Amino acid sequence: MRVILAEDSTLLREGLARLLAEEGHEVVASVGDGDALLKAAAAHRPDVVVTDVRMPPTHTDEGLKAALEIRRTLPGVAVLVLSQYVEQRYAADLLGEHAGGVGYLLKDRVMQVEEFLDALRRVGQGGAAFDPEVVRRLLARTEHPLDVLTERERDVLAHMAEGHTNNAIAAKLHVSRSAVEKHVNSIFDKLRLSGEDGYSRRVLAILRYLRS
Amino acid sequence: MRVVVGLLLGFATGVGGLLVVVFARPMATRYADLERWRIRRFLDVDSAAPTRPQAVKYLAVRAPVGLFGGFVLAWLFYGLALGVIAGTRIVGNGLDGVEWRDDVVATLWTALIGGVLLYIEVQGIRGVVALERGVARRYLGPSEAELLRRRIEELSLSRAGIVAAVDAERRRIERDLHDGVQQRLVALGMLLGRARRHPDHADDLLRQAHEESRHVLEDLREVAWRVYPAALDALGLAEALEAVADRSAIPVTIHCGRFRAGPEVETAVYFVVSEAVTNAVKHSGATMIRVDITDDEDAVIVRVEDDGRGGADPAGGGLAGLSRRVLALDGTFAVRSPAGGPTVITAEVPCG
Repeated sequence: MRVILAEDSTLLREGLARLLAEEGHEVVASVGDGDALLKAAAAHRPDVVVTDVRMPPTHTDEGLKAALEIRRTLPGVAVLVLSQYVEQRYAADLLGEHAGGVGYLLKDRVMQVEEFLDALRRVGQGGAAFDPEVVRRLLARTEHPLDVLTERERDVLAHMAEGHTNNAIAAKLHVSRSAVEKHVNSIFDKLRLSGEDGYSRRVLAILRYLRS
Repeated sequence: MRVVVGLLLGFATGVGGLLVVVFARPMATRYADLERWRIRRFLDVDSAAPTRPQAVKYLAVRAPVGLFGGFVLAWLFYGLALGVIAGTRIVGNGLDGVEWRDDVVATLWTALIGGVLLYIEVQGIRGVVALERGVARRYLGPSEAELLRRRIEELSLSRAGIVAAVDAERRRIERDLHDGVQQRLVALGMLLGRARRHPDHADDLLRQAHEESRHVLEDLREVAWRVYPAALDALGLAEALEAVADRSAIPVTIHCGRFRAGPEVETAVYFVVSEAVTNAVKHSGATMIRVDITDDEDAVIVRVEDDGRGGADPAGGGLAGLSRRVLALDGTFAVRSPAGGPTVITAEVPCG
């Protein structure tokens, strides 16, 4: 994939660039602030943009603003936002109207190299990746009665909300794909959510449901 | 009306005051108390109780003010009396047989001049009151109530300042932790993750990770040191300042006299020096920094001078925080930094 990195810490930017290069991705540009990111994204039209939230000049949410702008103006460019803290607001802003080609992860996830690369791949291919911490808090705070679900179903729900495919969920939970599909159907029935085509629509439906 | 009575009394007491100053000095304080009652009651001027020499001076200086007040009032009464006489005559039976209707323009003109003179008179009275206040301030000083009021104002200002300074420091620490320590830790974790994923060049990646872990510790130590230098408690101010000098990228010479002061004073002195040095290193382009710490009777005086290009902003984050910290200890803080340099930062912290 063709990637643009936006991160103001040189150390981390270099590290990420090496990591992505090792995995066969092409880093077409590395920048250190929001404006430069917008320019680079418009010029290179990468498959995916990986950006830090906090960057100069104000060190507040430049990266997020730039990501939202890219999502609005460059629909073909996926965005993966890395954040120092989990902020539900940011996740909600990013999710917007469609959950395709978008990700929001705690920065620490970069250390779990496999998970990070997997999330990047999902986002780059038009899927979604939401941090387990985001989903955990949503599950903890939701006003919907989730006790109608079995424990296993709740696990599956969490993984779906993070943006994983049925195959990935099956592998993570060490069960068969058909078992996952059964759980998924049961969840949608119990929560009275209409079955959604496509993984990113499914993420949107679930996250909306939990937040509403 | 109250003011007019006050000034009228002031004219009388002015004459009396002169007599007291000349013939009865032992009575001066009591007479001054009378005056203080008068200016408080009629002119709303608060003042402090004087000693006898102060009272004598005050009475001597204010006597002419009192006489002048009488003079101004005399004009007021004279003008008013004239106005009343002219008014009744004109409205009543006409002035010297002339009806006011006969020459409206002249009548109005006279009335206008009368109005202007009245206005000037009122300003004159105000001026006399201001003079009375000025003389009382100068020779008696502000009253205790006034002093307390000022002190409370100062205290609430410095209290709000210290809260703001604490918040600013926390913000900085948060940034230090996230932009420094956390980034390094993530980078370190990434190196380890890559090493596990690519066993073929794991050796090299592990070596980098090892190196990175050293940097993380250095960063952490820096942050902790900036939060509070433990050496200050363990080894004292002089040692802690030596450490500031050692860590500075620009040579720092420190002259630190011996003095006894509470820990909060030493901490303030420490942060003034450390912040001033950090600022100079970051912004001034200086080649040397000189720190002088001296004490006079009851205050410690810190002076930090560099030979840089000047132009330091006293309202900038670090310096504003220092100023608040020093003000909270009833000290004074000044930054002199003309464009082109040099920058001199002075702080005076009372030891009491």
